[in-house]
Amino acid sequence: MVNKTFPLVIAAMFALLLTTGAMRVNAQDTTQSSLKNRPNILLIVADDMGYSDLGSYGGEINTPVLDQLAQQGMRYTDFYVSPTCSVTRSMLLSGTDNHVAGLGNMGELNAPNQVGNPGYEGVLNKRVASVAELLQDNGYHTYMAGKWHLGLKPDQFPHARGFERDFSTLVGGGDHFDDGWNVEWQIPKMPYTEDGRPIKKLPKGFYSTKNYTDKTIQFIEEGRKDGKPFFAYMAYTAPHGPLQLPDDWLRRYKNRYDEGWDGIRLQRLARMQELGIIDKDANSADRLFFLPRSTAFTPAVRVMQGRKMELYAGMVEYMDEQIGRVFDYLKEIDEYGNTVVIFISDNGAEGNDLVRMVSGQPGSFGYLHAMNHFAESGHNSLGRKGTFAEYGPLWAQVSMAPFRAYKGWVAEGGIRSPLIVSGPGVKGAGGLNKKAVLHVMDIAPTILELAGVQHPDTYKGRDIEPMQGKSWVGMLNGNTQSPRGPSDWLGWELFGNRAIRQGGWKISWLYEPFGTEDWQLFNLTEDPGEQYDLSDKFPKKRKELIALWDEYVKTNGVIIGARSPFEQASKQLPNRVPEFDDYPPVRGIEAVPYKKLIELMSGGTEDKE
Amino acid sequence: MKSINRHARLPAIFTTMAILLSYSGTVLAVDDGARAYWKGRDGTTVVSFQYLNLNMQASDAKQFAPNQYIYPNADTEANVMIANWARHMTLFNRPSSLSVNLVAGSVELDASASLDSRFVPPGQTAGTAFSQSSSGYADPSVQIDINLVGTSKLVSTVDLMNYEPTWTVDAAVMLGVPIGEYDEDKLVNMGLNRWYGRLALPIKYHFGVFSPGYMSSFEITPSVWIFTENDDFLGQDLENDPLWQIEAHLTQDFTPTFFGSLDLLYRSGFQSEIDGTDVGDDVDIGDFGFTLNFQSTDNLMIRTSYSSNVFGDNDIDNSLLRIQFVYAWHPLSENQKKLSKGH
Repeated sequence: MVNKTFPLVIAAMFALLLTTGAMRVNAQDTTQSSLKNRPNILLIVADDMGYSDLGSYGGEINTPVLDQLAQQGMRYTDFYVSPTCSVTRSMLLSGTDNHVAGLGNMGELNAPNQVGNPGYEGVLNKRVASVAELLQDNGYHTYMAGKWHLGLKPDQFPHARGFERDFSTLVGGGDHFDDGWNVEWQIPKMPYTEDGRPIKKLPKGFYSTKNYTDKTIQFIEEGRKDGKPFFAYMAYTAPHGPLQLPDDWLRRYKNRYDEGWDGIRLQRLARMQELGIIDKDANSADRLFFLPRSTAFTPAVRVMQGRKMELYAGMVEYMDEQIGRVFDYLKEIDEYGNTVVIFISDNGAEGNDLVRMVSGQPGSFGYLHAMNHFAESGHNSLGRKGTFAEYGPLWAQVSMAPFRAYKGWVAEGGIRSPLIVSGPGVKGAGGLNKKAVLHVMDIAPTILELAGVQHPDTYKGRDIEPMQGKSWVGMLNGNTQSPRGPSDWLGWELFGNRAIRQGGWKISWLYEPFGTEDWQLFNLTEDPGEQYDLSDKFPKKRKELIALWDEYVKTNGVIIGARSPFEQASKQLPNRVPEFDDYPPVRGIEAVPYKKLIELMSGGTEDKE
Repeated sequence: MKSINRHARLPAIFTTMAILLSYSGTVLAVDDGARAYWKGRDGTTVVSFQYLNLNMQASDAKQFAPNQYIYPNADTEANVMIANWARHMTLFNRPSSLSVNLVAGSVELDASASLDSRFVPPGQTAGTAFSQSSSGYADPSVQIDINLVGTSKLVSTVDLMNYEPTWTVDAAVMLGVPIGEYDEDKLVNMGLNRWYGRLALPIKYHFGVFSPGYMSSFEITPSVWIFTENDDFLGQDLENDPLWQIEAHLTQDFTPTFFGSLDLLYRSGFQSEIDGTDVGDDVDIGDFGFTLNFQSTDNLMIRTSYSSNVFGDNDIDNSLLRIQFVYAWHPLSENQKKLSKGH
């Protein structure tokens, strides 16, 4: 009996083993096969780049790579971010509201009554799982190069939050060269990490945009042998101030912006209309009320101000060229066709005086820091090491055309960003979507859906918050025009400024003088420049949106700060008065075209400047 | 607020831009000096005053250079004051300058007993040592310089703001007018008693950042001096071959208001002929020196330099010490100062 049954048992066991083994093999095969079928994700974030800078959004800056990306994919007009960078990044990586993810306020600017409260940790908190963590756990290579700004401690580093390879600066901004000076005196040198370890010294010849690109290519190349897809997060620090460029790029736009901010802005608005980015009858924002008309200034002033814009434009084009290097590399390794590319900016263009904000008053440490490392200001020095050029509100309003205000504010000029999505599954090549109202916290759920990854309720044994963002996949593949319906709404709060958008309506509460320190109601469809407060005309709508604001506060645990960097704005800026194109009247030489003016100033007249 | 602050900086920028480039204007005493051919804004006027002390000891048969006599077996010391006026302007759509030198001072000579008899002035006995001196005005000179390559006209502030030179080439023509003090019975004189001139080709290469505190340059100026005949040199005819000269400077900003320069001056040629007979050899003098230049106000610059011969003929020792004050202004920058003081 034994003799008869034993071979059967052995055979059965062997068969079982084979079957089990085969299932395992099959399961592994399935995983690898599945992984191979999943797209790579390349998420590119510009830093402080404006809405209308790219050629595909109406800008005169030469951005052929991103323009071509737009031709291959889709552009979206109503994509929203936060008014500042770390806040946006928290939502980008978590898929939920910044007040939930730990950046209820920028960590550097938490108000006394916000400190210690959930959602105000100042870092990407553990109530959320980052999209990198989830992708890493589901078979993706996860790479990051560039700006993190979501935590300075080892357990907050990119490596600790899901990026297997990284080359990151942990802070918000500073030197683009190997000197690596931080804008903040408290941390004089920008802390960098590589693969989770702090870097003591940047390589000689370092230039941020170039090296971040190098690292991204290096990471992909070193990881591609196993056939797993990658998620690469290219968080460029361009064109964040200081506006700095390699020497051979410094004069790339020489004299391009000498004619002044008004002319360039008008040209952009015209191109935006041609491209369909804005409607021909839509109301654009006026020149910011505290800024002068460019024709009121002599050519020399325009040249001086124009040089800053030259540097900015150079940084944007340089970034575009470097992005092209990544695309070329992906084509070379035959992965471009399997890569979904998402390009955004992190907030509105920078119109604040960052140097002044961080350097403070003479005698302070901040001032000493600025004296030591950012004092150089010669006209021909700007853009080099040791300089801290910013282009200020004059040009920020150009970059944010047709919108009002700039970085830091929840007016459209602070929170609108270009958005280009291209790659497998993105239908409508070269198209422009003006129907969808999109938000940066949509990106994480979109990436997860593209990767076939479910967002869990718990992560590593802790409960995590659900994502509030909505996946775009249905929109990208052409099934829907927008992930949001007419009743869906979005909310913002930062530095005490607050806003709600639902459909084409928006209410905002802004500190004076950008706002009235009361709720204002705008119809963004007709008035993207937020010029006409319709509160009196549509009190019911205003009330409805205020109710949504209350819901937003409750849902996300918003705490209005007891202090705000903008609480004194009304004392620093002149009172807002109505702007009229023809007031004061343009007369005499002020009406002379710029080129003719230059001829007059450079000889043949007694009126030499 | 920011824009208001930034605009408030404009007066300072304009002033700097207007003056910064204007500290040029040739000296024409011995050499032109460092940054002599840097361009100024059209309409900038530069007035300089300099004191030079020249010491020359020659133990063998030597010739003389313009305004500095080097006689064989004689020691010479000259104390010279030079007033220079220069005006930056635009000629043929190129940045140019016109400068005028007035030179005055004194020169003393101690001749040894072995002085060549042809150099012994009336009243002195050949074979005996003697001393002689002269003082008064030397020959004034005028020079025009025009840029040929590398610099567009500098008329407006915009032109200055766009000015970032690399290679520049100028042409300069100088003419000396023989109206200085001259005594045909003296071996040493302040004037040369003959027309003379110089053709120069100043070449510069600007490297580094063309911004105050970072400017650097390599400058080389080949030139040739040409002299007519002095028909009354101790009763004899004196003729000279052309004097070939190369002047070079390596300049570097230390701060926005302070720069230094290493200076080189080499001269050769200038064979003398008295009454048709060659006297001595060609000049072969190579001087090396340095310059320190401090801009004390928007308008005023103080410069000092020293040089001495370190190569060339071993039988000569010379040294040159210079202190110079330069004052420059442009009507716009002066008016700007007036405005900033209010009415």
